[in-house]
Amino acid sequence: MTHNPWWNLVAVFVLISSGYAVKVGDSAPDFQAMDSNGQVHKLSQYHGKFVVLEWHNNGCPYTQKHYESGNMQHLQKEWTNKGVVWLTVISSAPGEQGYVTAQQENDYVSKMKASPTAALLDPRGDVGKLYSAKTTPHMFVVNPAGVLIYDGAIDSKATTEQADISTAKNYVSQALEDSMAGRPVSTPTSRPYGCSVKYAH
Amino acid sequence: MLPTAASCQGKAEEHTTLSLISERDAIVRGRQLWIGIRFDLQDGWHTYWTNPGDSGEPPRIEWQLPTGFQVSDIQWPHPERLALASLADYGYEDQVLLMAAVRPPERLKEGESTKITAQVHYLVCHDVCIPGQKHLELSLSVQTSAAFSPARPLFDAARQKLPRTMPRNWKISAISAGDEFVVNLKADKLVKPVQFFPLHSEQIENAAPQVATAVPGGLRLHLKKSEHLRRPIARLEGVIVLASGKAYKVRIPVAQPRNAHTQSKN
Repeated sequence: MTHNPWWNLVAVFVLISSGYAVKVGDSAPDFQAMDSNGQVHKLSQYHGKFVVLEWHNNGCPYTQKHYESGNMQHLQKEWTNKGVVWLTVISSAPGEQGYVTAQQENDYVSKMKASPTAALLDPRGDVGKLYSAKTTPHMFVVNPAGVLIYDGAIDSKATTEQADISTAKNYVSQALEDSMAGRPVSTPTSRPYGCSVKYAH
Repeated sequence: MLPTAASCQGKAEEHTTLSLISERDAIVRGRQLWIGIRFDLQDGWHTYWTNPGDSGEPPRIEWQLPTGFQVSDIQWPHPERLALASLADYGYEDQVLLMAAVRPPERLKEGESTKITAQVHYLVCHDVCIPGQKHLELSLSVQTSAAFSPARPLFDAARQKLPRTMPRNWKISAISAGDEFVVNLKADKLVKPVQFFPLHSEQIENAAPQVATAVPGGLRLHLKKSEHLRRPIARLEGVIVLASGKAYKVRIPVAQPRNAHTQSKN
């Protein structure tokens, strides 16, 4: 892999100033962030594709609910196989729960058999704050035109219990299915549930 | 297996003690009895109100009572605002009693022992969150009369924190104005608010400051609308806590601005 030293200095560079509130129906604000393999991703480079943003903290019991059950990995596989770009975003600050180095994240991804397109490291919380990411998980879906079509919880059952997954309605899949079928998204927003994102104090 | 939060942080029970308590020491047929789940939380730890705010989850209680007994919904004491980095949660620190009223049936055998059980699902958080589950039991015998139990002061203290009905001569209303709701409260005396707690999520921005100004005969409270609010709402429901410490249940009708009506007619 080639490393451009300039990118290493700028782990996360937010293109649009904060204070912009993300709203379903509006353009999803562009950002640029480095992944756990040292590659830089810009949201705008995925114009023409659906993009899922998944806020993540491996120490959070709500995140663990969806990884230890295999639910999140299943979703990642299902939707990336259909051409969706899946970006896991880690906004925990250094010293806070869920903060990981690139190596730790790669170990986690391989151990959990996760398959996001990339895991973005956002230790300064720039991308998180740009999207007002509140919880882990907190999910966003962007359509191929770059418009935000979903902002909220992963599903309809706000608990830490794995047994609830099978009876919950998955809002991310619903948004992708609706949108791919040309229907309006039936649940475009919901209250995200989980642990608070561990931004720097 | 990766280390999990639970293994690093210990169990939820290390940070809170739960107990099932009764206000009286016996059951009397047909007479309402208050019971409750008490949380004693370790310093710095909290649990959640019915609307937890930006993160977290309220406790959930599954009751099991003998045939013929009925149990009410939880009576939620007013919460505190728990400010995080750029978020706000609603919950309880230190201690809280979640009360419920039990209605025993009219036909009961005197002297019979009665078992009430509760399976409590809860979340406690500090910087990190730990989910917990606790099975609690309470045995009371059926008697012709019942005395107060030693736990009675806890019930009295909890009642002080239950939101009450607003005085009849007070009036509360709100208008939807741009990105905020402006709440007007007309009271018979000078009141100073501390906080409005919304019963429903996604109506107001939890972390936004709530600006209150005293106006003749009452006060005005500015609440920022939630980014997730997609359509006009008819009312705001919740609890308003005044500087006196008193909490009131409020259902606030929301008037839409006149130009919005005009637009919707076009």
